Amino acid sequence: MQSGRDVLSRAIRGQRSRLIAGSLLGAGHQAGEALVPVLVGLAIDQAVAGASWSRLLVWLAVLAVVYFGLSFSYRFGARAGERAATEAAHDLRSAIVARVLHPGGGADRDRLPGELTGIATEDARRVGMVLLAVLTGIAGFTGLAVASVVLLTTSVQLGLIVLVGTPALLWLGHLLSKPLERRSAVEQESAAHASGVAADLVSGLRVLKGLGAEQAAVERYRHTSRTSLAATLRAARAEALQNGVVIALTGAFIALLALAGGTLAANGTITLGQLVSAVGLALFLQGPLYMLAWVNTELAQGRASAARVAALLSAPPAVTGTGTELPAQVKGALRLRGVTHGGLRELDLDIVAGELVGVAATDPAAATALLHCLGRHGDPESGTIELDGVPLREVDPALLRQAVLVAEHDAVLFEGTVADNGGTPEALDAAGAADLSPETPVGERGGSLSGGQRQRVALARALDARRPVLVLHDPTSAVDAVTEARIAESVRRLRHGQTTVVVTTSPALLSAADRVLLLDGGRVADDASHADLLQRNADYRKAVLA
Amino acid sequence: MKDLLPTATPARARAAVREIIRPHRAVAAAGFGLLIVATSVGLLVQPLLGYVVDLVAGRQPATLLTTPVALLVLVGVVQGLLTSWGLVLVARFGETALAELRERFVERALSLPLERVERAGSGDLTSRVTGDVARVAEAVRSALPALARSLLSIVLTLVAMAVLDWRFMVAALLAIPVQLHTGRWYVRNAVPLYAAQRVATGEQQQQLLDTLAGATTVRSLRAEADHLARVDGRSRAAVELTMRGVHLMLRFYSRLHIGEYIGLAAVLAAGVLLVGEGAVTVGTATAAALYFLNLFGPINTALALLDDAQAATASLARLIGVADVAATETPRPAHGDGVSVRGLGHAYEPGRPVLHGVDLEIEPGKRVALVGPSGAGKTTLAKIVAGVHEPTTGTVRAPAGIAMVTQEVHVFAGPLADDLRLASPQATDADLRAALATVEALEWAEALPDGLATVVGQGGHRLTGAQRQQLALARLVLTDPALAVLDEATAEAGSTGARTLERAVEQAIDGRTALIVAHRLTQAASADRVVVMDGGRVVEDGSHDDLRQAGGRYAGHWAAWTRHHAHDDQ
Repeated sequence: MQSGRDVLSRAIRGQRSRLIAGSLLGAGHQAGEALVPVLVGLAIDQAVAGASWSRLLVWLAVLAVVYFGLSFSYRFGARAGERAATEAAHDLRSAIVARVLHPGGGADRDRLPGELTGIATEDARRVGMVLLAVLTGIAGFTGLAVASVVLLTTSVQLGLIVLVGTPALLWLGHLLSKPLERRSAVEQESAAHASGVAADLVSGLRVLKGLGAEQAAVERYRHTSRTSLAATLRAARAEALQNGVVIALTGAFIALLALAGGTLAANGTITLGQLVSAVGLALFLQGPLYMLAWVNTELAQGRASAARVAALLSAPPAVTGTGTELPAQVKGALRLRGVTHGGLRELDLDIVAGELVGVAATDPAAATALLHCLGRHGDPESGTIELDGVPLREVDPALLRQAVLVAEHDAVLFEGTVADNGGTPEALDAAGAADLSPETPVGERGGSLSGGQRQRVALARALDARRPVLVLHDPTSAVDAVTEARIAESVRRLRHGQTTVVVTTSPALLSAADRVLLLDGGRVADDASHADLLQRNADYRKAVLA
Repeated sequence: MKDLLPTATPARARAAVREIIRPHRAVAAAGFGLLIVATSVGLLVQPLLGYVVDLVAGRQPATLLTTPVALLVLVGVVQGLLTSWGLVLVARFGETALAELRERFVERALSLPLERVERAGSGDLTSRVTGDVARVAEAVRSALPALARSLLSIVLTLVAMAVLDWRFMVAALLAIPVQLHTGRWYVRNAVPLYAAQRVATGEQQQQLLDTLAGATTVRSLRAEADHLARVDGRSRAAVELTMRGVHLMLRFYSRLHIGEYIGLAAVLAAGVLLVGEGAVTVGTATAAALYFLNLFGPINTALALLDDAQAATASLARLIGVADVAATETPRPAHGDGVSVRGLGHAYEPGRPVLHGVDLEIEPGKRVALVGPSGAGKTTLAKIVAGVHEPTTGTVRAPAGIAMVTQEVHVFAGPLADDLRLASPQATDADLRAALATVEALEWAEALPDGLATVVGQGGHRLTGAQRQQLALARLVLTDPALAVLDEATAEAGSTGARTLERAVEQAIDGRTALIVAHRLTQAASADRVVVMDGGRVVEDGSHDDLRQAGGRYAGHWAAWTRHHAHDDQ
């Protein structure tokens, strides 16, 4: 079990050299930025006040060196930091996807695809941002330190005023804005809701058009949009007020500084240039302090994201193996004994190697449970399943799936062409999809194809995989009767001599099977050919005939 | 090649923005006016600090400091108040205009002909609704006020420097050519780069969703390595584009540093010159230097916002492009309760017709089933009859109230009752229950965690495929159309659920004229007439019994179906 801290420290270790280089350069940049107001103060004191061109040239040269240094360090420091952040996020993204796709499964059990995608993008990015935040934090502290040293060596009193006053100012601003921030967060959520509603209505455009409900949808959106506008305006008022308060506080602080610095300078405790530097540094100090506040938020968010990533990465696998090998040539004999799982009750079932068997279930839940166990997405609550005498529980799930393919009813197509998804022309032909050009793009999740086309391409893909054992689930529910009959024939021809199980209630497919098992009450209730079952079993007739 | 939805020209976009802004002119003027006054008041800080310097340089007693210090406090308070007020007004102006823009956009988007949207790919419209609206909103919300305040600061600071002495302003302006050139260079490079970056990020997101949502299928097919490589490739591409953007931005800041240095050096040199001439005091020179140091922030902000502004402008053009599409849908003249189709032809792409010379009559109250292999043109014909597509040639006459239900069902996010009320906004709870009962969905709907108030759709309670279909049929019942068009409305349910849905369909279309695209022939057998299509033509048309005896294609279909249903059919 790994924690969020492990994820963070691994990310930091993985980008160590970039992080060190970036931190050093970032510190150099902040030191340079702190020196600029100091140098301007010195130039005014020594060159401008005395109207001396030669001194001016000296100070301008010093300023040029500092500018070059700070610009260079900023450019290459920030570059190293950004690279470290994006690379760490990328590595994490790959690790997350690898974990989800791991043959043992288990990571996607309680998480919806949208949530998984969110973890692989937003959370991975936030963990990466922690690296940039660490680097920025180091740079910010350096700026703070340089400014402090300069101020305290100028005048302890003035230095203390600036060093205590600036953070106090920011803290006060933060305190005042806290309730406003909370309110604005709630209201921003309502604004995001409006955009969600719009996207939802557009994705349901076909349904709206079909019903002629466009006007009702527009009215609904207008209502949401107006509610959201009112919320946004409340949030904007809160934010504007916060802005105003910060401006007023800053003004008061500068006034205080002018009073203290002016008094010290009037007493001759500090020089004119030091006064100018102090005012400049007070303005500069806000930069590093804002940076540190940003670092703080990023770290908090990064920790939360790292915890989510860690939970995903260390999710226990749904199935494992104990290293038992399958025979080199899998014959494909399946044997189930006392299997209880989902809709299955103490199911005993034997399938001879090379058989084409139909399985008709009166309860869809029993069919789903059977497929779940055969594909080893989970192991049965009790009972054993053996392939060629080897218990499935002991076989590495990846090796098992080289031998057994369970083609689920809701299998998805992936972005690409029909050929990318469905394999060879021969397989497409067997699945009754010869009318589809192999170059046709299937679109996102097969969205460019009709339901029937999607199903036939998925069937072709399953046939093309040529596994010793093939389990098909309702492969033709969206296919017309003539094509369905043709498909039944070609499945029979193509899978000749190889174990094939078709879980369906479609008579066309069941009639092509060597024999048919009727699953009722979670166990095998009858076992004969389709024709015989039709003749003798009323439950079967009810299950398969419309 | 996808035929994307239109994008407005820059001139048209400007005109549309002016049109939207016009009613809010007064608020906008007041808001920006207040910000101008606030910024001007804020610029009194530097001369006041300069005055403090002069008092010190002139060896005046420390008690004289009270007046400038009190004034500094006053300046802060007044500036804070005015800024708050100005920002509130600017937000009211921007947000109201934005709300009007997005409402107008959504209204137009929903009234676009479906065919047009499909030609562009559904992603085009969705990305405009989400991405572009968000980008424009972001610009209005943060970039617009920040840009306004920065520009005001820059202009008014330069004016203030000129007030100190015109030569200070000239010195400050020496930095302008570098900054302007840098800004233009940046925008020129950033706009295409960020556009490419958005595309790459979108592709990465799409690939992740594709792979992660299909994880079970990926594992079943042992395609893990392939999918990992796909995700890695997309992610790598997005990383490299992000880094190119970072490099560009950092080079941008490097160049701005040069500008800063030139300006600072020039202002200090002007100080030496003017103090030497006795034209200004050291305090004034200090004020000028402080002014210039304070310019860095606003200038960097303004230049960095240039690409936000560019991106928002591009998004705005894409929104206005859609909002400007003329509503091409001309309502078809209503015609009794029956359907009459004459010489219908249709091509989605020129030169590739999918329907040829189709004639179809449906008498009021009768039910016609469309049968034929995939790709025969059944769905296209159904969509044209439903008025969703405009035919390329031929005429269609149909009744006024039409509702179509397809196998693509969408559940609208929100309470179940709200979803149903899209079909009939005035429906009472009793109406909703009655409609659900008609399609045998009332039982499960009431068993949901919060009954009809249960939040369904994206992010809500997940409904099964069959439940979604029943919901679609319940909407049809609520619409109470004269003509119901159903396209394989029972396909997704698997064979067991299909029978429940068939009953639901029967009850939903009871008493209506109906056109049903059927792949389960039981639906054809119970229709008043069966129309068989193949290759975009009607090949047979008659009653179930007549066609069965005619020995044509339908008889073939029926034979394939009944070979397995022999016992039941007798």
